[in-house]
Amino acid sequence: MPVVELAGVNKAYESKVAVRDLSFSIDAGQMFGLLGPNGAGKTSSIRMMMGITMPDSGQISLFGKPFERESLQRVGYLPEERGLYKKMKVLQQLVFFGELHGLTPSEARKRATDWARKLEIDDALGKKTEELSKGMQQKIQFIGSVMHDPGLIVMDEPFSGLDPVNTKLLEQTLIELKEQGKAILFSTHRMDQVEKLCDSICLINKGEAVLAGRMREIKSRYERNRIIVEFEGSAAFLESPEIAEAKNFSGHAEIRLKEHGDAQKLLHEASAAAIIYRFELVEPSLEEIFIQTVGGKADA
Amino acid sequence: MRNTMLIAKREYLEQVRGRAFRMTTVGVPLVFALIVGVGYLSSLNLGAGKHLAVAATDSLMASEVKAQLLGDKNAKTKVDVLAPATAIDRTALVGQVQSKAIEGFLWIDTTPGQAPKATYTSQSSGDFITGGRLKSAVNHALLDAHLTGGGMKHADADALVDGVSIDTFQVKKDGSVVKSNAQASFWKGYVMAILLSMTTMIYGMNVARSIIQEKTSRIFEVMLAIAKPGDMLAGKLIGVGAVGLTQIAIWLVAGAAILFSPIAAAILTGDFAVHVSWTETILFPVYFVLGYLLYSSLFAGLAATCETEQELQMYMPLAAAPTWLSFSLILLVINDSNSFWSVAASFFPPTAPVIMFLRMASQIPPAWQFAVSIALLLVSIWAVLWVSARLYRVGILMYGKRATLPELVRWLRYS
Repeated sequence: MPVVELAGVNKAYESKVAVRDLSFSIDAGQMFGLLGPNGAGKTSSIRMMMGITMPDSGQISLFGKPFERESLQRVGYLPEERGLYKKMKVLQQLVFFGELHGLTPSEARKRATDWARKLEIDDALGKKTEELSKGMQQKIQFIGSVMHDPGLIVMDEPFSGLDPVNTKLLEQTLIELKEQGKAILFSTHRMDQVEKLCDSICLINKGEAVLAGRMREIKSRYERNRIIVEFEGSAAFLESPEIAEAKNFSGHAEIRLKEHGDAQKLLHEASAAAIIYRFELVEPSLEEIFIQTVGGKADA
Repeated sequence: MRNTMLIAKREYLEQVRGRAFRMTTVGVPLVFALIVGVGYLSSLNLGAGKHLAVAATDSLMASEVKAQLLGDKNAKTKVDVLAPATAIDRTALVGQVQSKAIEGFLWIDTTPGQAPKATYTSQSSGDFITGGRLKSAVNHALLDAHLTGGGMKHADADALVDGVSIDTFQVKKDGSVVKSNAQASFWKGYVMAILLSMTTMIYGMNVARSIIQEKTSRIFEVMLAIAKPGDMLAGKLIGVGAVGLTQIAIWLVAGAAILFSPIAAAILTGDFAVHVSWTETILFPVYFVLGYLLYSSLFAGLAATCETEQELQMYMPLAAAPTWLSFSLILLVINDSNSFWSVAASFFPPTAPVIMFLRMASQIPPAWQFAVSIALLLVSIWAVLWVSARLYRVGILMYGKRATLPELVRWLRYS
């Protein structure tokens, strides 16, 4: 039974179609990436899943039941437009969020303290939110969205504003939550993170899903036409008629073959011109798939 | 309901713990007392300490007017007498006024066989207090002259002209007759009405400000994933309203402690005696809650459509117009608190809380009128809340652009 399922969901704001016939599902223990250029309909889709707006048609199910507000008690949400009560102390704020999610004050206090320790911000619990850095506030919001132990965690751009150390910490935490069996959906522009963390993705553009499925399966659909070459000697082989595009970084070249380009022929040409240390045929990165799929069609 | 109460509790604690609450709890009564005190003290010296001249063709009349003017101890007037006066004297007096040697002169012409005429010439055209005193003095003097001319003793004539003071009594609903002080009752009603409108507006504004701040801090989206917009709005209204009631309770307790203190008992007797009835004590918080709910729901709807506090402030004078209207009806209510327009204004929901308290100052209206007024307030609160909740639901997620009127209409239709 999927934790969340969208089936033929449509949403329009006056004349603009925000989401058109969108369908996907996320299972427990799965990390799901919702991708798309700016204005593609990611936030609109997430807002409908959270009951903030209602779909014009189609169905959204949470935990195997058609959407009902009670199900939101089991959902953790970190929206793109974040905010905290600036004058409130961090612990009070987290206890408040915990209570809204059905925890008792003492349980909320305990969980907030545990999470703060885990994310290395326990010193901040007694401070007012306005006294904290943006990164710290982001962590507090993250705690607020997971402290009630939700079965589904929805995060809109969860890594924006975090430094590399905290990004790593958050990534690790998300992996742990996934291993505990939580279904996690996040939207981001950072393709490297999606590639690293997600099991499945849905790429939407202009409100429509243009690519969806398990990461491995999607990648396997694309031809292996990228080649990494490390060499010493003449770079004349980069002018080969087999190559569509080549970037040379002093002995490290990244090559894209033409549609029916022959990699073996290129290897011969390269080895004739230079000493070859590495010649690797690699699958396309998600970023390349993204650009290839959406390129030139995006609004923003 | 649980979420509503949690949101209300958060709102309440944040505001009650804030510095603004402590400052207004202490500061508002102090400022209020200061304004009333300064107003009272300055009224004591209105038109006082003037240097005037009385010029008349009849010396006796001039002396009598002077005596009348000096008899008013509050006025502390210095009076020069010029009698019998001529046209040349008049020119000289105008010169004195011009050179500010005197503030004005009263010219009385009592030509036999003609009605007496009096003119007052001064530097200031708007000094109606002095004008009133002079009129009274001249009339007294004329009447005195007539009575003594007819053979009455001067002391008897004076006593007759001074008249008698009238004590006022009020017949209560239970048939008892009690001494009343119309002026003290009026001021009591006036003060309660001001307090009521002030707290209603302040806390209505607090709701609006709180919504704008939450909108600016982008917390709405987090909250909307946990609570329904209706619960959020209700929680906010209840929380902020409870803050207002707490503040009013503090003022009432402090006020009662002061009123029942021996010092207050010594001061507030006789003409200054103020009696706050149980009806007023109970209805004050009731009308506060109703007035607050009406205005705060209106302000909440407005705030949801605004982007900044500055933008919200542009609408405030318009939203507060019914309160100003209430105070502009004061004379109408004082004149007859049971007239058609007084009763109508106490039924009209936006003006009902203030007007009802002004009416109560002179006479407690019948119970059915309270019932109608409260019922109409409840209906209008429901209607305003209905509109505001819809504006709120859509408006809190709209960032970066001020909503136009057609957009607002669409929000109402689609939300």
